[in-house]
Amino acid sequence: MKNPYEVLGVSETATDEEIKTAYRNLAKKYHPDNYNDSPLADVAEEKMKEVNEAYDRICDMRRNGSHSSSYNGSYGTGNSYTRTSYPDVRQYIMNGRLDDAMELLNGIPDTNRDAEWYFLMGMVFSRKGWNDQAYSYFQRAYQMDPSNPEFSAAFNNMNARRAYNNPGYNTAGTGMGCSGCDICTGMLCANCLCNCCSRGC
Amino acid sequence: MGEKDLFGYIKVDQANLLGKEFEAYKGIYCTLCRQLGKDYSIFARLILSYDCTFYAMMALDLSEEPPCYQEGRCRFNPFKKCHYADTQTLAFSLAAALSVISAYYKLKDNLLDSPWYKRIFYRMVQPFFASWRKKAAKKYPMIDESVSKMMERQITAERDDNCVLDQAADPTATMLGEMCGLLADQIPLREPLKQEQTKRILQSMGYAMGRWIYLIDACDDYEKDQKHHNFNPFLLDNREDLPDYMQANLNHALSDALLSYGLLDKGRYDNIIRNVLCVSCVNIQKKIISKYTDTKETED
Repeated sequence: MKNPYEVLGVSETATDEEIKTAYRNLAKKYHPDNYNDSPLADVAEEKMKEVNEAYDRICDMRRNGSHSSSYNGSYGTGNSYTRTSYPDVRQYIMNGRLDDAMELLNGIPDTNRDAEWYFLMGMVFSRKGWNDQAYSYFQRAYQMDPSNPEFSAAFNNMNARRAYNNPGYNTAGTGMGCSGCDICTGMLCANCLCNCCSRGC
Repeated sequence: MGEKDLFGYIKVDQANLLGKEFEAYKGIYCTLCRQLGKDYSIFARLILSYDCTFYAMMALDLSEEPPCYQEGRCRFNPFKKCHYADTQTLAFSLAAALSVISAYYKLKDNLLDSPWYKRIFYRMVQPFFASWRKKAAKKYPMIDESVSKMMERQITAERDDNCVLDQAADPTATMLGEMCGLLADQIPLREPLKQEQTKRILQSMGYAMGRWIYLIDACDDYEKDQKHHNFNPFLLDNREDLPDYMQANLNHALSDALLSYGLLDKGRYDNIIRNVLCVSCVNIQKKIISKYTDTKETED
């Protein structure tokens, strides 16, 4: 088994706060939401598990009352869809059988295509790497049923990626590891968003 | 003018690299150049590209043995001292083969749609490219197969009346995905990388990088293609928000590459690779897209 400190990328002398920060950053990075529509979803899940375990182990080792794995569970993995009209399609997607999933979806007549159909279509395209198609399907699913948390999460996540804003990664564009730049780019992004909105209105 | 594709788009941003990191990158660049000379011909050194340098760097990042640098003199500039890595390394041999094979097919493609005066030049150099490609294909038949398949698929996609952006980008993306996957097969991997998982991560990262390269090239050539009625994926549907659309697609591809790369345990060139993905590519993207936003603003 790997050294838990190595997994979190911290030294053994790191303070509790440093460990917590490192853990939070990694948990953000490997969060299943980031990889839900990626062909590497299972790899990310494994990584997430490794990070969770490492953090728990460090907490156990250091525990003297004040430490507990308070984040355990909050960055849980695993998908929890309550009900689905397309269990076979989801199964195919999970197993990476994208062509089969696509065939099943295409076999569904136009009139029966609901928001979930568009969502799953987006999922297949996204896992294939056909991002632009995936985006339009996710967008459609979200428009048809904005209250569905699964669809809105997928759509919002994709929007973040289209803005090159990945949680857990520093993609400032002009400088690395510079928090001042982060603020600047944050402002710039906010500004861009405002501009987009005002243009759209 | 764009950032010109002759040498590739996958560069490093020197201002944001440490001195030793830039030295290491330059060393890889110079070694690949030397390898091209050694394996093929002194003229083959002229096709050295940043994209293939990045490929060599990825390969070295994954490999078990660290490259060993030594000082030498540049053949093209005897006053310049360079750091060369050991050219026996498989990483350089693979990157050099990929360079000559893709240069050959690019040339073949250029022969189809270039003005006559350029075609004369291409015809003259074609035999050289062909012989290098033959040599490289003998050594690495899978590279040749992958690149030639990409060219065929690209032509088919461009002829398809219902072609969409993703379909147009797919051949290049798939090819680079395969090429990156190949690294996991060929290179003895460092600890703790597992072969199968690494291969999947690299394939996915390569796919996204390939998509990015294809799309950035398409963005760069957009005006030229529009003028000459050439195929361009951004001309497929008339979009009003073209610069935003370009930006979103490029960002998305880059994000995918970064997310895939994030799953790989950090290697010796982690800082340089992140510099490429998080800084350099973003800046190149901004620069190219600004051509279209600026003209739009002046029109307004």
